[in-house]
Amino acid sequence: MTGPLSSGQTIGGRYVVQNYLDEGGMQFVYVAKDTVTDRVVALKTPKNPSAEKRFRRSAIVAAKVNHPNVAKTLDYVEEDGSTFLIEELIAGKDLKAALLTRTDYIDPYLVAKIFRHLAKGVAAAHHNGVVHRDLKPTNIMIVGEYNVTELKVTDFGIAKMAEAEMDEAVEGGDASLSASATALGAIPYMAPEAIDAPDTVGLPADVWSVGAIVLHILYGDYPYGSGLRAVGNITKNTPISTPKFVTSKSQFRPLAEEIIEIASRCLQLDATSRPTADQLVEMCDALCYTVSDRRVGTIKNYIHNAWGFIRTAGDDVFFHKDSVFGQLPKVNESVVFSCYDGGQAPRALPVLKLK
Amino acid sequence: MDLPERYAIDGDAMDGGMATVFKCHDRILERPVALKVMPRRFKTRRLNDELQALYTIRSKHVVQVFDVCVDNTSVGIVQEFVDGKDLFSTDIAPSSADDFLFILWQIASGISDIHAAGLIHRDIKPNNMKVDQEGILKIFDFGLAREDGPAAATVGFVGTVGFSAPEQYVAGTQFTQSIDIFAFGATALYFGTQSLCAELSAEPPSAFASNPFLSLPFTIPTDVADTLFACMAHLPSNRPKMSAVCQTIEKHLLFNRHRALVVLNGKPSYLDKDNTSVSLTFGSIAGVKIEYDGLLFKVTNVAGDVFVNNAAVAVGDALPGACVLTLGGPERRATQRAYVTFDLSNPEIIA
Repeated sequence: MTGPLSSGQTIGGRYVVQNYLDEGGMQFVYVAKDTVTDRVVALKTPKNPSAEKRFRRSAIVAAKVNHPNVAKTLDYVEEDGSTFLIEELIAGKDLKAALLTRTDYIDPYLVAKIFRHLAKGVAAAHHNGVVHRDLKPTNIMIVGEYNVTELKVTDFGIAKMAEAEMDEAVEGGDASLSASATALGAIPYMAPEAIDAPDTVGLPADVWSVGAIVLHILYGDYPYGSGLRAVGNITKNTPISTPKFVTSKSQFRPLAEEIIEIASRCLQLDATSRPTADQLVEMCDALCYTVSDRRVGTIKNYIHNAWGFIRTAGDDVFFHKDSVFGQLPKVNESVVFSCYDGGQAPRALPVLKLK
Repeated sequence: MDLPERYAIDGDAMDGGMATVFKCHDRILERPVALKVMPRRFKTRRLNDELQALYTIRSKHVVQVFDVCVDNTSVGIVQEFVDGKDLFSTDIAPSSADDFLFILWQIASGISDIHAAGLIHRDIKPNNMKVDQEGILKIFDFGLAREDGPAAATVGFVGTVGFSAPEQYVAGTQFTQSIDIFAFGATALYFGTQSLCAELSAEPPSAFASNPFLSLPFTIPTDVADTLFACMAHLPSNRPKMSAVCQTIEKHLLFNRHRALVVLNGKPSYLDKDNTSVSLTFGSIAGVKIEYDGLLFKVTNVAGDVFVNNAAVAVGDALPGACVLTLGGPERRATQRAYVTFDLSNPEIIA
């Protein structure tokens, strides 16, 4: 197995390591069985042993937040000079792996849902005075892939550990930047004050990051670019313009414009001008979106170059070109879509082309 | 009990019904936790299967267990401390029908999650649920006084007077999930009226002469009142499923909050509570009028041939979530038919 632990090893007299799951910039993640409560949990341990003191601090910080949109901290163990954080195991993938692998962008309905749940999780943390500091797609867990049945923000407090590494990377320019996976992943969503004056970073920095993440998943592109170029664009607040496809269709334009409007309020150079997380939740609470199940299928045909059918495991589903968000899929290409009862065939909306 | 060094009792014992509950400080994670102490029968740190299942259920509305400690005589269950008021507290008495329904929806969602896992709570009552600082209602204190589970508890009456179903007073009855549904109805009535009525105080509870949910201090929709009343049916099989109760409440929580995006000739417009009707016409060929009544978008007038997703539409039909309206019959050429997309959405009800 990857990392310091092996399968079958018992931690804290209670957690039996089952398998290696993943690794973040700062830590290894394992699946373990809690023999006391008889459930499977996520067990995290820092990659850098010198970070251990801060690891406990981060566990305590994360443990203060108790909300359905935040991964729940269950326990913390120190044993033989090593430290372990035990968290609820989320049966899903991070947002990047779950939603930005087979698509570059997501339709406004799903973006609205993600925006709202993300804002709620961040607001719950802010109520406890907890700043995340490192919100990015890989720190957001998604259950149910394109159905997004659950969304949970994770790795609160870990950012403090990553700060030193990131400062170094930003100062060192492109070469050291690309050497630091942590910095590379975080920069596109970083608030200007996190770059200019990391000591002053407070709650509004998270609000900026939420805005940047939301624009990224709606646009299919980093709103400020990536790498060192992003640093300049962020500190001058010069985002890319909205890609044409986002607002070109009547069926998506009104909601897309609402989302862009709210996200833009989060992306203001002056941190005090941004909405608080509570104000952001209130704005997102009013967003109307559908939560119908998403299905996967392949395009069967196009008729009159306007509409056609999607082949699925069950019935064929009717779709119209106007209900496709972004690039039009070709015949036999895969799509993910919601569908509604129709007279003869169910109708799909929205339709997203999969890679 | 002898507590591990990790936990320090912090304050007086709380009323825990059949067990004692203490607020404790977890010295490792530096946070408050609730400790429920029960008599111990087995010499392991592991709980019996049903208690295990109840405590490991995944629901936003059920408290989570963190740890289990044992000494020679007791077992302590360390769980999430919910910082908030229980439903007996007048501080969270509902001030409007919406307040009332939103709390009931959360209780119903929690019980629905418990039932979906094939489990029974056994002690649903106002003081076994709290609303936390985030406004989220959490259910706790499953009705199990001992670590060996409920089997022994079916001898004689176990439950809370005022919230127990009639069948719980009959010795030897095999309890089902419907006792939670009765208790939910009784809890809803207590929460709505802020008092326990004579019918529910009776042992066993007596039948109501009329539906008490029709005379709450605020008015709730009739179908919700009917569903809540049905929860307290004396015959368990007449009580609705908890998931159905959730759906009925949810429908009304969305009252006047739907939005329909109507696109004709590439021009989008919205139908909502402020803009409740639209008439769509296509020359002299066909026309249709759609009106929003706060719950549904209904067809109120049809002229000529109008189709919804290729099925002919009639006055009184409600439009589905996303559809295409076609003005003009299929015998016409494409240029003589007009297409209107109609997409319905609403805020998601989440706690």
